[in-house]
Amino acid sequence: MNGKLPIIIGCLLLGLLYLPASGQATEDATDPPGPAFRLVRAVMCETIEGYEPRHIAVAFSVAVGRISCYTSFDGVTETTYIEHKWYRRDELVTVKRLTLRPPNWATFSSIQLREADKGPWRVEILDARNRIVRTLRFSVID
Amino acid sequence: MNTLLSLLGTLRWQDVVDVLLNSYILFRFYVLFRGTVVLRVLAGIALLWVFQRLAVGMGLIVTSWAMQGIIAGAALIIIIVFRNELRNVLQAKNLRALLWGFPQQHVATPVEAIIEGVYDLARKRIGALIVLPGRENVHELIQGGVQWDGKVSKEMLLSIFWNGNPVHDGAAVLEGNRVTRVGGILPLSLRDDLPRQYGTRHRAAAGLAEQSDALVIVVSEERGRVVAAKNSRFIPIDDNLSLKRQLTEHLGAARDSSKGRLHESRKLTVAAAVCLLCMAGIWFSFARGMETLVSVEVPLEYLNRDPRMQIMSTSVNSVRLHLSGSNALISSLRPYQVKAKLDLGKAVSGVNTFTLSEENIVLPPGLWLSRIEPPEVRVALDMPINKDLPVQVDWVGTLPSGLLLESVTVTPAKITVAGAQRTLAQISTIYTEKVRLDDLAASGQLTAVLTLNGASVRLVEAGRDRVEVRYTIRRRTP
Repeated sequence: MNGKLPIIIGCLLLGLLYLPASGQATEDATDPPGPAFRLVRAVMCETIEGYEPRHIAVAFSVAVGRISCYTSFDGVTETTYIEHKWYRRDELVTVKRLTLRPPNWATFSSIQLREADKGPWRVEILDARNRIVRTLRFSVID
Repeated sequence: MNTLLSLLGTLRWQDVVDVLLNSYILFRFYVLFRGTVVLRVLAGIALLWVFQRLAVGMGLIVTSWAMQGIIAGAALIIIIVFRNELRNVLQAKNLRALLWGFPQQHVATPVEAIIEGVYDLARKRIGALIVLPGRENVHELIQGGVQWDGKVSKEMLLSIFWNGNPVHDGAAVLEGNRVTRVGGILPLSLRDDLPRQYGTRHRAAAGLAEQSDALVIVVSEERGRVVAAKNSRFIPIDDNLSLKRQLTEHLGAARDSSKGRLHESRKLTVAAAVCLLCMAGIWFSFARGMETLVSVEVPLEYLNRDPRMQIMSTSVNSVRLHLSGSNALISSLRPYQVKAKLDLGKAVSGVNTFTLSEENIVLPPGLWLSRIEPPEVRVALDMPINKDLPVQVDWVGTLPSGLLLESVTVTPAKITVAGAQRTLAQISTIYTEKVRLDDLAASGQLTAVLTLNGASVRLVEAGRDRVEVRYTIRRRTP
């Protein structure tokens, strides 16, 4: 009997080690939750003044020099992040990662315009799970 | 010797059949036309061809040109001049005679009966004209007369030429052991060098002999003299032996003997061997002579593609083939005779790499493939799919000062396009043609035409290549 005791204790320890791992797998197997926020507003603008977008438009002269993608959210349940992916035609130009904090948050990303940037653009707004929340389309003109 | 052995080692069964078949055709030509003028003319033309090749080799421009012309004309001349001989051969009674039969001389002609008959006629001073045809058809040269089918005998000849017989004045035609025609009128010779004592009967004999290979025996009515006409000469017949010699020589009666048959067999064997050697020589000169290298550019044909997939790109559209073969075959090579084919039956979606080999190349017989450039071909295949893509207006130009293009609505917002899966995976937007902003001063609506990103992408609804664009313009606030 004394000889079997260490074996029983060993099995119990192994079982304890296994339990947390199986709990994690169950959690992963559930459907991913939706975004922990609601997109209230998403616009392209020339400038941000007082945390508000100014000169909202869908065509920007390259002479403006700089443009921004403004996004505001509410219902942010936890600190998370979003991405602004800037494309010229179908070519990815830049990716900006922006933090969102509860409960409401507004954030923006900007790019400097150059002569070669003329043409159709789009900005994809993605959540932390890389899902597209909104796509904004605009043009950079003369 | 080693070269010859290596050549023989590369022979295919088709090459052997090629040589044997053509040798046999040549041999049949000899068998069917031997003894006629046609064969001699053909031999002459062959000799001319040899001279022509020599002239070309020596660089004699005019000579080779003239001989080439003569050879070309000779083919026409043969058909026109020797039409009767050709027809005799081609109108053979059966296929056997044309393809593998050996025309035999009618050795059964009763020479003795003819000799006795001729000398009885001469003794009795009965004029006679006897035609013994050779290989050529004489019936077209003889006019009138009566068809006859009597067995040749001394009595038959005497009765035909007996003065009381209505057909005694004409010629009797003897073929084999039969009298086939009597009372025939022969063409008269126009020669003016005939002896004065020769009358119309001799002139007729000379006329037929000149125009054919027939032997014509004339018995003079006035003097009882016997003369044989052959080709363009008269042969006086002084005795039985002389007549027998002429007859046997003409009829080929010597072959009747076993010695004659042996001689004939030997002659045909030699002819067959000569034909075989000639054709083998010609074949080697054509197929293996003067090994030449050539490279040709051939379009690559893609076959057996899965109908559900499209060829998106290929590394090459044509391949360069390095071929070797005889100079004659290379010179006569035509582009359509060489093909390069690639079987896409086992190709999968994506980039497929194929190694080209002899199996991909179709060549005419006698040519060999040395190299293929490039040895590998890459073919990208893809599956066509439909995809809904958002439409975006491609604005250009400049808005009038102080204005902002605030918003745009496109109808329909999405368009369905069809194209290759891999191509469409890289496309996320359909753009319109460039729309100028310069003339826009207030909000409004316009129609814009869509542009497609590549030739491999098309609209599912071909007619719907336009979208309605509503735009809002407002004044820029300070």
